[in-house]
Amino acid sequence: AGITFPEKTKLKFMDKVPAVPKVRREPRQLRDIRGPSREATDFIQGQYGILALGGGYLHWGHFEMIRLTIGRSMDPKTMFAVWRVSAPSKPVTRKSLGHRMGGGKGPVDRYVTAVKSGRLVGEVGGRCEFGEVKPFLTQVAGKLPFPAVPVSRDSLRQMRREEEEKRLNNQNPWTFERVAAANMLGMRKYLSPYDLRLKGRYWGKFFLKHRV
Amino acid sequence: GPGAGPERCPSAPLSAGWLPALQFVRRGSKAVTRHWKAMHFQRQKLMAVTEYLAPRPAVPPRCLPRRKETLEEDNGYARLLQRQVEEVFRDNRMIAVCQYNSMPGEDVVLMRHYLRKHDIEVKFVLNEIVRDVLSQSKYKNLLPLFVARNILLVSREAKAKEMLRVLKGVPQINLLGACIHDTILSRQGVENFAKLPSLEAAQGQTVGALALLPSQTSSLLQRGSAHLTALLDQHIRRLQAGETGSPAEPPPAQSTEAH
Repeated sequence: AGITFPEKTKLKFMDKVPAVPKVRREPRQLRDIRGPSREATDFIQGQYGILALGGGYLHWGHFEMIRLTIGRSMDPKTMFAVWRVSAPSKPVTRKSLGHRMGGGKGPVDRYVTAVKSGRLVGEVGGRCEFGEVKPFLTQVAGKLPFPAVPVSRDSLRQMRREEEEKRLNNQNPWTFERVAAANMLGMRKYLSPYDLRLKGRYWGKFFLKHRV
Repeated sequence: GPGAGPERCPSAPLSAGWLPALQFVRRGSKAVTRHWKAMHFQRQKLMAVTEYLAPRPAVPPRCLPRRKETLEEDNGYARLLQRQVEEVFRDNRMIAVCQYNSMPGEDVVLMRHYLRKHDIEVKFVLNEIVRDVLSQSKYKNLLPLFVARNILLVSREAKAKEMLRVLKGVPQINLLGACIHDTILSRQGVENFAKLPSLEAAQGQTVGALALLPSQTSSLLQRGSAHLTALLDQHIRRLQAGETGSPAEPPPAQSTEAH
């Protein structure tokens, strides 16, 4: 019902290295892994997708795996798939094996994309049911470097609603954000300033689903 | 660069968003790590305190009427096993229920071999299935026996003596009870049953006891004539003893021909 198929139904090939490779080596900046995602959190074209429940880096190997698995398991005539992450653009360096510390920063090893928790990695749509799509999406989700689940528009809405309900009907009068914001018992000595925003649901790159 | 110990920040007016007076500069691993970074104990305590507490329902679930969950376990496998157990109960004359403690495999095989020689089969049964079958059949009193691991020793003839002998040699199997010829016996009952003589011997005994009277009647009837014969024989012997030397053939021949 009113589904517009894109031109190419299969997933686009992603380059290993961007067209203009970066010469300047970038600092690590792990804050692009930490915390909730601000982009690609909702569906655009498709009906089903893979939701990341943790932060991590996706490199070209992951992209190929996703592209080939989904391309192999879906029917290009009735279904289409769309990327929701950009091609790898962040250079990650690695020192050659067996060398001591020092001697400068290592050369660029590979390019990655940063994914935060709550972001959709890819979307699938078309004339298909969730049951058809779920098997290969779970297969793909298991192979990603962060925990991921296949979702549909409904299931994502359900998840958000449940989270909201949990937050509202929590019987515990003490919540992390309350304690952190009011600095009760001097807790901010042991918390990071980011914890005011992360509210105890995130720790490093991990997303704690059962909190709050 | 990173400095060790607390740093005092310059005095800022309290109204314009104050920073904490003491800021510990952390060293060690970064905030985002591949492994699960160990939390400070105070933070662990905070996480434990601020966990989600589910709202309690107004009526506790144990006060609500319990819906009988119909187990969908009535799949074909369970039905097949039930049919097998019913067949076992129908076909065999003797069924003994024993407790089974784990035995080494070779001992199990040996025991099965000995019992098979006497036509006794060993069956491992699942309690749930047997309980279902028994509650519907007439063997309701066997129900309390089927708790924990059991085996059934079934046979067509009731060879209790051999079974007991074999089971005595195996300490890990304890006889709990038996159903022999549709009578439920306890352990004592089985032992008594084993002590009974075999069927042929019992039959022979009853036949002998019954035939005792008819055999006595014939001797009763013949008692008069036998008595007379004995008396005459005695008389002849006395006469012979009196007439030493004279031929005693004609009188005994005459007396015997008279009968």
